[in-house]
Amino acid sequence: MSESTRLRPSLTSTTTVASSAKACCHTSPQHTAGIDAPVVALVGAPNTGKSTLFNALTGSRVTMGNWPGTTVEVSRGVWRTTLTAPTCDCESCTCVSDDHPLAITLLDLPGAHSLDAHSPDEQLTRGLLQDGPVDERPDLCVITVDASRLAHGLYLVAQVRELATRVVVAVTMSDIAAQRDVTLDTARLSRELGCPVVAADPRRRTGFVALATVVRTALADPVPAPRPTPITDDDLVLDDDRFTWLSDAADTATVASGHDRLTLSDKVDRWVTAPVTGPVLFLAVMWAVFQLTTTVAAPLQDSLDRFFSGPVSGAATSLLTLLHLHGTWVEGLVVNGLVAGVGMLLTFVPLMALMFLLLALLEDSGYLARAAVVTDRLMRTMGLPGRAFLPLVVGFGCNVPAISATRILPDARQRLLTVLLVPFTSCSARLTVFVMLGTVFFGKYAGTAVFGMYVTSVALVVLVGLLLRRTLWRTMGAEPLIIDLPAYHLPTLRLTGAVVWQRLRGFLKTASGIIVATVCAVWLLQSLPATGGQSFGHVPVEDSVYGVAARTIAPAFAPAGFGQWQTASALLVGFVAKEAVISSWAQTYATEQPQPGQAGLLGDQIRAAFEQSSGGHPLPAVLAFMVFLLAYTPCVATLAAQRREVGLRWTVFGVGIQLATAWLLAVAVFQIGRLFW
Amino acid sequence: MTPGMDLASAPLDTPLTLLGVGASTSRQRLATLGLREGASFRLLTRTIGGGRIVLVGGSRIALSRDLVRLLRAEAA
Repeated sequence: MSESTRLRPSLTSTTTVASSAKACCHTSPQHTAGIDAPVVALVGAPNTGKSTLFNALTGSRVTMGNWPGTTVEVSRGVWRTTLTAPTCDCESCTCVSDDHPLAITLLDLPGAHSLDAHSPDEQLTRGLLQDGPVDERPDLCVITVDASRLAHGLYLVAQVRELATRVVVAVTMSDIAAQRDVTLDTARLSRELGCPVVAADPRRRTGFVALATVVRTALADPVPAPRPTPITDDDLVLDDDRFTWLSDAADTATVASGHDRLTLSDKVDRWVTAPVTGPVLFLAVMWAVFQLTTTVAAPLQDSLDRFFSGPVSGAATSLLTLLHLHGTWVEGLVVNGLVAGVGMLLTFVPLMALMFLLLALLEDSGYLARAAVVTDRLMRTMGLPGRAFLPLVVGFGCNVPAISATRILPDARQRLLTVLLVPFTSCSARLTVFVMLGTVFFGKYAGTAVFGMYVTSVALVVLVGLLLRRTLWRTMGAEPLIIDLPAYHLPTLRLTGAVVWQRLRGFLKTASGIIVATVCAVWLLQSLPATGGQSFGHVPVEDSVYGVAARTIAPAFAPAGFGQWQTASALLVGFVAKEAVISSWAQTYATEQPQPGQAGLLGDQIRAAFEQSSGGHPLPAVLAFMVFLLAYTPCVATLAAQRREVGLRWTVFGVGIQLATAWLLAVAVFQIGRLFW
Repeated sequence: MTPGMDLASAPLDTPLTLLGVGASTSRQRLATLGLREGASFRLLTRTIGGGRIVLVGGSRIALSRDLVRLLRAEAA
């Protein structure tokens, strides 16, 4: 098990992120091996398999991927070390395979090339390893180093070896090194570095017993003397000393080198990052993702929809009849509230699973790092570095972790701008609504309609970014792109499956938490009469508190062609979470016309509502609605994440921009569109 | 001005030696990735926007056009 420790980086200063490794372990004992257990920190350059190793050692599920900046927080878990190999093949093995097991609290720190801290996540790593009191630092650091580019990871080793701490180097990516004819002598490297070195393969889960053995041996030994350095305040002299030291170590330990040999990855990159083929391939990949997502998932969705609106609703009604609750408010809550709302939401599980699978494959294959190169020029027009593309891509999955991922950016103003732009990336929750409306209004062109919303999303990010850059951030410079390209990997079933399950579980958690609460709140408001003469639970929805509130704000959307109260109410609920928009519609229409089996007609009812509110122009109206849904505030969780990263003032500023952009664009789309449709 | 040529003018697939990183503020970050004065490297690919992918010490590093113009090198 593991838990993420969120340490709030200051917008203007990065010094506040430093914390104590041991103190943070003591705050939540269920994620540690106990107060007296040794604390081991996993550190290393980005994309060296650190988080994969952490997950494999602790049986946890922290975010991992084949691209830099995956870890932006500290995760901790319990590593139950043994000195002999387990005899089983359990996924998260808890079998005791020797007489001397030792539980270790393991920390997964954000990726860092050095302890010089160019960004808040690197500052966090520095704070835990170097700036805190000596007795609060981890007992040992395991530094992951990529065998295929050894010198690249040794600068951090040089710096950590200058501290009074135990160090073990875990050499990863040996398979990639072998493909490139790079052969590493770990014994020689150990002698050169003055610390134990062991090969481990987190992706295939090998070398763990050897790693546990050297870690436990090192923990039993006294803290070694730090690596001697020149006595000087000149950073350049210190750097020269480190580079000489690590170059000597790498040259001595690398007994055969095929570093300069061109690989298949290099040949692929000539097409993938090229001026014409790069952007074309990028758009084709994104289009294929959304086309596949909608066409493959649609039949599964229909089957689940029929299942929930038929047998499940019928069974719930029969059960409630047996309990003499037929026709009561309990039946309304269960059948029209929970079953119709949550059931409709769960029909999107296949869609989300497929979407997460395709994105995980793109991540694990190494393509997304290339996509950052392709989009760099576009990002730079907004004053953002290519690296800002990474949190924005994360935003297409979910805006909340994307806000956290902005910490990989070194400049505070670039982080702020990116935090304000992330809500315009179309998260997977909005995808559920787009797919439903696309299917209802655009039929076989649903995939293209959804893809169009993603193109609009990218355009919104660029246009709002340009607007802010030309007004508020006129003096902001752009960091040059420097991105370390990971080798292309053939995605592994275990890793891809773990990432998909982790994200799907997050989606389901939202569904069972916020959504159920929202569905119940909507049902309650729909059951409360706004006028006298009607009783609780027996009120037409348009006369309920919910209906009256929605009718009050509905006229504001009339210029955009969706001024009917049902749509306005869905947008209100969508402010809490976009996943709740469809469930809110399902509840509203089920409450309006509670005929048996009517839930399957939800699409027809929505189509009729748009037809009516748009004066016979439903297509521009629904497009305007989709644009509004894309641009306005994603959810309260995103607002909370924004407040944590940039404070309340900028969060409120962002909400203002989102609402203004959403309304203006929606009105423009409808008013222009109705001239043609 | 450091002698040699900037990377925008340097040929692909040719062994090069880095002479200097100009006025780049990214000097240290480049150095941690292996691109420091005296380092041997090759340019692999021209990327969209005028950047390059550099092969150094087994790492493939993508650099943007402005950085490519600052870095100077000579044939090894």
